[in-house]
Amino acid sequence: MASEVIHTAGAHAEAHEEGHHELPARVDPDVALSELVATTEANGSAVRTWAWILGILSLVGIVSFGVKVGIEWGDQAKWGYTAAIVAFLFSAFGGAPLVAIAPMIAKANWVRPVARFAQLCSLVSIVISIWMIPLILNLPMLIVDGARRRSIWFEGPDVSPHIWAVVALTTLIISSVGLIWAYGMPDFAVMRDHGTGWKQRFGNWAARGWIGSTVQWRTMRMRIGMMGTLYFFTFVFIHFMLSTDFAMSLVPGWRDAIFPMYHAISSIQAGLAVTVIGIWAARKYLGLEKYLHLDQFWSIGRLMFAFTLLWGYFFISAFIVFWYGRSGSDQMWIDFLILGPYFWVFIGAVLLIWFTPWWWLIWNKVRRSYNGTAIGAGLILAGVFLDRVRLYVAAWSVPEERIHERFLTEYPGTVYPDVMDILIMVGAVAASVLLVILATRVLPILSVWDVQQFNLLYRPVDYMKTKVSLIGKPD
Amino acid sequence: MQQRRTIDQIHTNRVLLNGQLDTPKWWAPTVITLGIIVAIGFFLIGIMVNKGLGVTGLSRPVYWGLFITTFVFWVGISHAGIMISAILRLSQAEWRRPVTRAAELLTVFSLLTALMFPLMHAGRPWRIIYYIVPYDFARGIMPNVRSPLIWDPVAISTYLTGSTLFLYIALLPDLGNLRDRTTGWQKAFYTILALGWRGNPRQWKLQTVGGILLSALMLPIFVSVHSIVSWDFAVTPAVEGWHSTIFAPYFVIGAVHSGVSAVVTMMALMRWLWKWEDFIRPEHFDALARLLIVVATGWLAFTFLELIFAVYGLDAPEIELRDMQIFQWPWNLLFVVFVFTGYIIPVGMWLQKSVRNNIALMFWSSLFVNIGMWLERFMIIVPGLARKTPFVYTWEAYRPSGLEWFILFWSLAWVTFLMLLFSRFFPLVPLFEQKESQTFGDSIKIGRARVPAIVREAD
Repeated sequence: MASEVIHTAGAHAEAHEEGHHELPARVDPDVALSELVATTEANGSAVRTWAWILGILSLVGIVSFGVKVGIEWGDQAKWGYTAAIVAFLFSAFGGAPLVAIAPMIAKANWVRPVARFAQLCSLVSIVISIWMIPLILNLPMLIVDGARRRSIWFEGPDVSPHIWAVVALTTLIISSVGLIWAYGMPDFAVMRDHGTGWKQRFGNWAARGWIGSTVQWRTMRMRIGMMGTLYFFTFVFIHFMLSTDFAMSLVPGWRDAIFPMYHAISSIQAGLAVTVIGIWAARKYLGLEKYLHLDQFWSIGRLMFAFTLLWGYFFISAFIVFWYGRSGSDQMWIDFLILGPYFWVFIGAVLLIWFTPWWWLIWNKVRRSYNGTAIGAGLILAGVFLDRVRLYVAAWSVPEERIHERFLTEYPGTVYPDVMDILIMVGAVAASVLLVILATRVLPILSVWDVQQFNLLYRPVDYMKTKVSLIGKPD
Repeated sequence: MQQRRTIDQIHTNRVLLNGQLDTPKWWAPTVITLGIIVAIGFFLIGIMVNKGLGVTGLSRPVYWGLFITTFVFWVGISHAGIMISAILRLSQAEWRRPVTRAAELLTVFSLLTALMFPLMHAGRPWRIIYYIVPYDFARGIMPNVRSPLIWDPVAISTYLTGSTLFLYIALLPDLGNLRDRTTGWQKAFYTILALGWRGNPRQWKLQTVGGILLSALMLPIFVSVHSIVSWDFAVTPAVEGWHSTIFAPYFVIGAVHSGVSAVVTMMALMRWLWKWEDFIRPEHFDALARLLIVVATGWLAFTFLELIFAVYGLDAPEIELRDMQIFQWPWNLLFVVFVFTGYIIPVGMWLQKSVRNNIALMFWSSLFVNIGMWLERFMIIVPGLARKTPFVYTWEAYRPSGLEWFILFWSLAWVTFLMLLFSRFFPLVPLFEQKESQTFGDSIKIGRARVPAIVREAD
């Protein structure tokens, strides 16, 4: 019977021996510390140049934003692209922290080097909140022309969607900053002990006397859990609110119970994609090959593949019900949001979110390569952007005076972006990227303590004819 | 938290094969009792076939009642196997190992049971043949290839075939083990079933690869089965409360909730009946309970969306239906029981670590879930039909007859009966998985502490 067991293990080894990637080497703790702290200073001039470029683009975006407020205020149809970019940014950057939270709960070791970058993406909630202001102010009241319109707030006060949007965004910012701070405490202490100048002073303040005692570690884990949970529930609520108040409820007859979940699923898919692109860039431009291995790309690649399939499943689940239903409102959904003015945008979205990543990420070879996974991620991000344009621009193009119709029978034409829309969108993306880059100047892009724990809990060992990793699973 | 013990292989063989090599005393009386209940059930089904569906409470407008509810319930339970075996296998969750066989078995037997309910519901089961022969693709009348009612049997039979293969492939090493430990007709029986298993590296490799491939292939089938069952309802706009885009994932996540809970029930029974304390440990219940908290909360979110978007359209009939479902007697009582047993009581319990590690409490909480999940299906199917709609001119309540209730309980006895019969011939905990988990389990020293560790191959 002993031979039976050996053969089982041998078979596993043999079954995987072709094409499996090399195991990562362990890094000396002192080397890891100094190299990761150094990333906050690395490529100084290049980062400065990029910061200037992104800063200028952000500024141009904000100026265009101001001009648009001045000349197109009150015309709902003109704000569709702003809604689309807000939904896209929240989907992509807001979804990224979940890449850190969920595997951490499942005690996955591979996530450790990725967690910090994923969490820093949540800072984009600040940009989202600014860009949301005109949308909130342009959103119709619950009572339009003396009658109550369809909304998830039913008999609530007239300004319910507006108030809840403000509450949700404030909670999002609090939970984002809280999560980054709770998770970053040991690293703030590292900056306090190993940094210089303002970084040292800031680290000293933010570390709150961190010395790494057992109680502090326990409290920190509890805080991460609490902030992670708060972030997750806020994330789900904002998807619910964004998808219904800022899209569905603006289109008479659009009643789609799966839509908030569809929105959240594609957001997690985009969050995974942003994380892949972020760690791909960190690996390439910050020389972090020792810390970011194929393990991370392979694992996120698998998740991206799973969420790509889920996107298809959620879409089909809605489509089939409308297709078979054939009622006026069912037909409206198909004619307006799929076959109508944004048909080619829809085709592009389906190809980029679903079809191409499906047949790209399905291959083990692709997921075992840094560039292959990053290309898949890029496709998904482009697809999610197009999908948001299809949904939000279409929804905002419906005139307010038709809001009480049972369902749309005549559809507004295609709304194309004007120069200001393009500058606002570019500015929003630039401001988001800039914010994340600036944050990596304060805290190392890879968490020092998590990388050290990764190294502590991981041992490459020989096993029969192959090499395997031994991974510690503390409670 | 991790309670892994070093168990030698002789002990593993002796304890896990005790159902086959040394039948426990309680086994025969239990099987005979269940056999009697099963026989009575078949007799009653015979009466129903003879007399017609008039012996049930079904009538216009409620033409789908307890039988279809129970059909959906058993299809839901069948989601246990692939969730536990395939998904946890692909995600390399170590704690799945002692649970996989029971979950796969539950899938096969619950699917077999589920398939019997539409047959019974047909009233004249032999007329099902007109569904298939001659198959009419051309005229678009029944049987209609575009109808989910046709996709249903196709999906379920594909799922049943795949699940049986999955179960069988995982059984092969244990069959070889039993062949080497039995004599006479039993040896001949296991020799045929073991397909020449000798446990050489090539066979292990094929078995491993086969398991992984089947896991990946079964996942889309797993999702499609309950989605298609949900579309039986969702593509029918004429019935209030059914035409919802969320039904497919809502049914799937509900199925996972009830299926995994059924596995917990079964694990507790296995631990108590066969005294497998060394193999089915509190840590396994703890892990399943954590998984269930996530699944149940996801399911609750779907329930919330289903309800809120039902009234979102501000259509008066839909609002009246929900008003009836939630606030009017006796539906309000059923609704409260459904919410409390499906989520509030069990998840409230599972949030406590002490409950997650208490086998008896886990057993009872998992039973609660399945009471709630059965009620959920009942609340979806019946109230919508019970209300007057434009095409139906009567409006009546539905009272299931005693016969329908007995057949519902018969189905529980039938699945348990099949499980116990299986346990007489095949091990319920996979021996090779158990031994593999011993081989892959290790520990590493960090400072003064020793941390449990597991061996992982590079992907």
